[in-house]
Amino acid sequence: MTASTSSWLREQARPTHRLLALGVTAGVVQAVLLCFGAWLMAHMLAQAVLAGRKLHELWPGMVALLVLALVRFTLGLWQRRMTFEAGAQVSDNVRNALEQRVRRLGPDWAVQQASGDIVTRSVDGVQALVPYYAGYLPQLALTALIPAVILLAVMPADPWSALILLLTAPLIPLFMVLVGGVAERASQRRWSRLRRMGARFMDALSGLTTLRLCRATGREEALLAASGEAYRLETMAVLRIAFLSALVLEFFTTVSIAVLAVLIGFRLMWGTLGFEQGLFVLLLAPELFLPLRTLGTQRHRRMEAAAAAEDLITLLGTPAAETSSRPDSAAARRNTFATRQVALTFDQVSFGYEPARIVLEDLNLRVDAGTVLTLVGSTGSGKSTLLNLLMGFASPQRGRILANGKDLATLDMPSWRQHMSWVSQRAHVFHGSLRDNLLMAAPTADETRLQHALRASALQAVVARLPQGLDTPLGEHGQGLSGGERQRLALARAWLRDAPLLLLDEPTQHLDAATAVKVDIAIDALAVGRTVIRVAHRLHALADDARIAVLADGRIVETGRVADLRASKGAFAHLLAADRAA
Amino acid sequence: MSGKPSDSDSSLVVLWRLFGLLRSQRGWMLLGLAMALLSTLSGIALMAVSGYFITSMALVGAGGVAINYYTPAALIRLFAILRTGGRYAERLVTHEATLRMLARLRVWLFGRLVPLAPAALVELRSAELFSRLRADVDALEHAYLGVLIPLLVALVVILVVMATTVVYLPTLSLPLLLLFLLGGALLPVWMLRQSRVPGAIVVTCNETLRALAVDGLRGRAELALYGAEDAHAAKLSAVAARLRQAQRQLDRLQALGSGGVMLAAQLAVLATLLWGVAAKGGGLLAGPGLVMLVLFVPAAFEAIAPLPEAWAQLGTTLASARRIFTLADTPVPVPEPGPPSPPIDRYDLRMRGVRLRYGAQSPWVLDGIDLDLAQGRRMALVGVSGAGKSSLVGVLSRLYPCEGSITLGGTSFDAWHGDDLRAQIAVVEQRPYLFDASLRDNLRLARPEATEAQIQKAIELAQLSDYVASLPQGLRTWVGEDGIRVSGGEARRIAIARVLLADPPILVLDEPTEGLDAGTVTRLYAALDAAMKGRSVLLITHRLGGLAKLVDDVATMQQGHIIECLPVADYLNRLTLPETSPTR
Repeated sequence: MTASTSSWLREQARPTHRLLALGVTAGVVQAVLLCFGAWLMAHMLAQAVLAGRKLHELWPGMVALLVLALVRFTLGLWQRRMTFEAGAQVSDNVRNALEQRVRRLGPDWAVQQASGDIVTRSVDGVQALVPYYAGYLPQLALTALIPAVILLAVMPADPWSALILLLTAPLIPLFMVLVGGVAERASQRRWSRLRRMGARFMDALSGLTTLRLCRATGREEALLAASGEAYRLETMAVLRIAFLSALVLEFFTTVSIAVLAVLIGFRLMWGTLGFEQGLFVLLLAPELFLPLRTLGTQRHRRMEAAAAAEDLITLLGTPAAETSSRPDSAAARRNTFATRQVALTFDQVSFGYEPARIVLEDLNLRVDAGTVLTLVGSTGSGKSTLLNLLMGFASPQRGRILANGKDLATLDMPSWRQHMSWVSQRAHVFHGSLRDNLLMAAPTADETRLQHALRASALQAVVARLPQGLDTPLGEHGQGLSGGERQRLALARAWLRDAPLLLLDEPTQHLDAATAVKVDIAIDALAVGRTVIRVAHRLHALADDARIAVLADGRIVETGRVADLRASKGAFAHLLAADRAA
Repeated sequence: MSGKPSDSDSSLVVLWRLFGLLRSQRGWMLLGLAMALLSTLSGIALMAVSGYFITSMALVGAGGVAINYYTPAALIRLFAILRTGGRYAERLVTHEATLRMLARLRVWLFGRLVPLAPAALVELRSAELFSRLRADVDALEHAYLGVLIPLLVALVVILVVMATTVVYLPTLSLPLLLLFLLGGALLPVWMLRQSRVPGAIVVTCNETLRALAVDGLRGRAELALYGAEDAHAAKLSAVAARLRQAQRQLDRLQALGSGGVMLAAQLAVLATLLWGVAAKGGGLLAGPGLVMLVLFVPAAFEAIAPLPEAWAQLGTTLASARRIFTLADTPVPVPEPGPPSPPIDRYDLRMRGVRLRYGAQSPWVLDGIDLDLAQGRRMALVGVSGAGKSSLVGVLSRLYPCEGSITLGGTSFDAWHGDDLRAQIAVVEQRPYLFDASLRDNLRLARPEATEAQIQKAIELAQLSDYVASLPQGLRTWVGEDGIRVSGGEARRIAIARVLLADPPILVLDEPTEGLDAGTVTRLYAALDAAMKGRSVLLITHRLGGLAKLVDDVATMQQGHIIECLPVADYLNRLTLPETSPTR
């Protein structure tokens, strides 16, 4: 665990110091009660064995022992409750911070997280923090405090035994640090190897079809057996050292008890020590080492929390791109946007995700209200970026984008966004019902509008097929939607939103031709009367009179009607030829 | 290994089968158990003898008769050493046994799953089921260390305690046994029962949180655009709160379980004191015996302390074992005939009335396919998505069972062993799987003995030379999860190189250009052209496009039928309106 991870973990505990302190205090009180109980026990046994007291003379002590046991039990529950709440609070805080972070990083960043792996890992990671704060951290404090309490109790009873314990007890952490350093490094290596070997096995299972097709299953089986064997030999070599730290702890615990018992026994025989005192020490001796042993069983919690923390630090520490942060000033918030018609002007707009990677450069473009403009260009020419700028997911470094003459940079973003709908290449289906998925675009829409949107986007047949209709859960745990159905879902959202500006980012890219045609028909109906910017890739399917703009190297290099540009042998004709060749 | 385990199978049967699988490791398992018993019992004996010893010595000091103090003092030292060394040996031996089992289990499971893939393995397709399989394998691997050892050790310790009390103080046996059962079995089992509901809530909430996290990432643009970010955050908080509440309940139950064992231990001490003092008063028990028992009992409870955890693990282990056995016992979808596969000299492929469906109630995906692919012919198979094209690949590679007849060179598919057949018919998958291994190993998959020269030639033909040259470590570059990311087009070309190395007479390509941009597709054509030289080819696509140049015939598939098969020129001529044609 690196120093920064360690300090991050400590930092997160700050708001819960009170809870943790209460938990640790409860632990210390239990140790005090334990000492008292041991004394009571030693006292009663001495009375019974040496003074020959009978049961009826000793019952008050028995009752006291019973009460002590119950109080310790209750305190133990209370301690767990305090430290659990501490862990819960930390994980809630971190989860909220994460959500805020992802929100600030914005859609542009989110899209780049191709696998989404780090975020799903962070969900589990946040969970892994709980046992660390609820278990490991308080136990760490108790490991220092409880032995001190016990030593203080032993001291007046038998200074010699206290001395022996005092000499051995600090040696344990020392030896454990010495051996444990080696052992921990070794066991971390072991964990990472174990993980890798597990990964290899799962890798083989994921690729089983490919293995069969390549007739490589027999070989893979032999490899798995061999790697398991190699792993065993390697791991055992490591473990022989790793277990030394446990051996040290065990050795000191056992040997000091043995030495104490023998020494106490002889001093009892010589009459230099009272039986009650001797027994008291012997009863307490194993308890001295118990916290340390418990800590050992919780070490994996720290390792897991540290591994999670590294992921979380990466996520929480990702610098927010300049491009996605915009001034959220009060002035902008007042500058709301409200209209039924949107005309757009790009005025010398330049944009790059990094200074060295310019995507758009001095781009000029006008889109009149109520017209349809189709953007074409090769992959990476900046078509999607242009849409991102319009949606406010990124801001131009130079130049202005005007909506009805108002600079986007000065507008209240939420009110501007209310004026647009967007259909992407692959619409996202959210966890929840189909209704939830539709209503997110227009939370106040009533049943009539909903039905209209379903009709217009040809989703009715899909709804009829779903077992619970609109309330069928969708997503990984629910019904799946095909590519075409997802796109129609996005269209239905756009219908519900009924916004004057419609942005279409290759909405039929991932559909087969027949489905694409159906979706295109639905799009045409939606486009009527709206300002539409459509990024297209099926150049052959473009109507002759469609107005297009050709993007290349971050600029608009050609604009005009499809029929004219096709004939002109310019950039568009070139793209068309390349597309035909494919 | 007969009989299919189901939920109705008793736990013992499942456990018996699990450890039966590991029969070869019995020696190590028993040795580990012996070591665990040795160290645990030594620890208990150490405390007991110490108590006996100091009380005897105190009695001597108080004016009693001299005793032989050498023996107990020596015993104390002996038990201390046995305890320490025994614990170390126990750890080493039990881990040795676990590692041996782990290797054995994985190889066993792999061997069982191979003939099931992919037709009968839904698990490998869903990320969620896959991760459950992973967790199941992990759980089985810890069955010995986490379940078997603690349960057996506790059992033996209880027996030893019972035997001891019967000798020294028979009246104490029953109360102690009750307390052992209470702390070690009743309480933990009750706790497990109580945990079921909150435990299930925790699982669902975690799944929902993961789904919401994915929503927050993939759907971030929609959330931002529709002003739904606050609502999303609120949903997240609500699920987190529900999760928290369930976890709180679980934590309390766990605290109750572990606290309960401790309480039981203290009550046991109290009981010992009670009965012991009474017996002492009645002259039935001497002082040293009394103190010995008082120290002996709590030490014995140390063997009970791990039980709540072990019971919990037993539950998960059994559930995992049931799932794994059910999976491993799935009937093999395509039975393999015994060797040898028939010798052939022609590679004509002929399908007659081939039908396939994925479930007994499902619609037919292939519904009477008649198709002839003569040796050396190149045929494209076109059709909209869902027409059943990819299912045909599964049938041709003999990974899916089908009705009807397929013959290769006049011999029935049924007479062929799958591996031999796949040596004749190689498939370039739509999404080829790249293994977490070096690029070279990924290429050599179908032909491990390939020479460097052969690999280089395949790379060249698959148009991968530039790509390999651009990699800092060339063929040694690690690909897959831990390595570099490979784009769809690169993966496809790697798969083509794989097939070129395998050098089969018949080649099946599944959607080779799907999802690739125009530049990549152009490069791929060259690779495909090279791959097809001198082979029969079945090229499956929903978008013929430039692929038309690579084939002789075009077969059109619709709803599980081949509706027509034409020479490519005739097919293209018939497309009167290429601009709006559905195949464009």
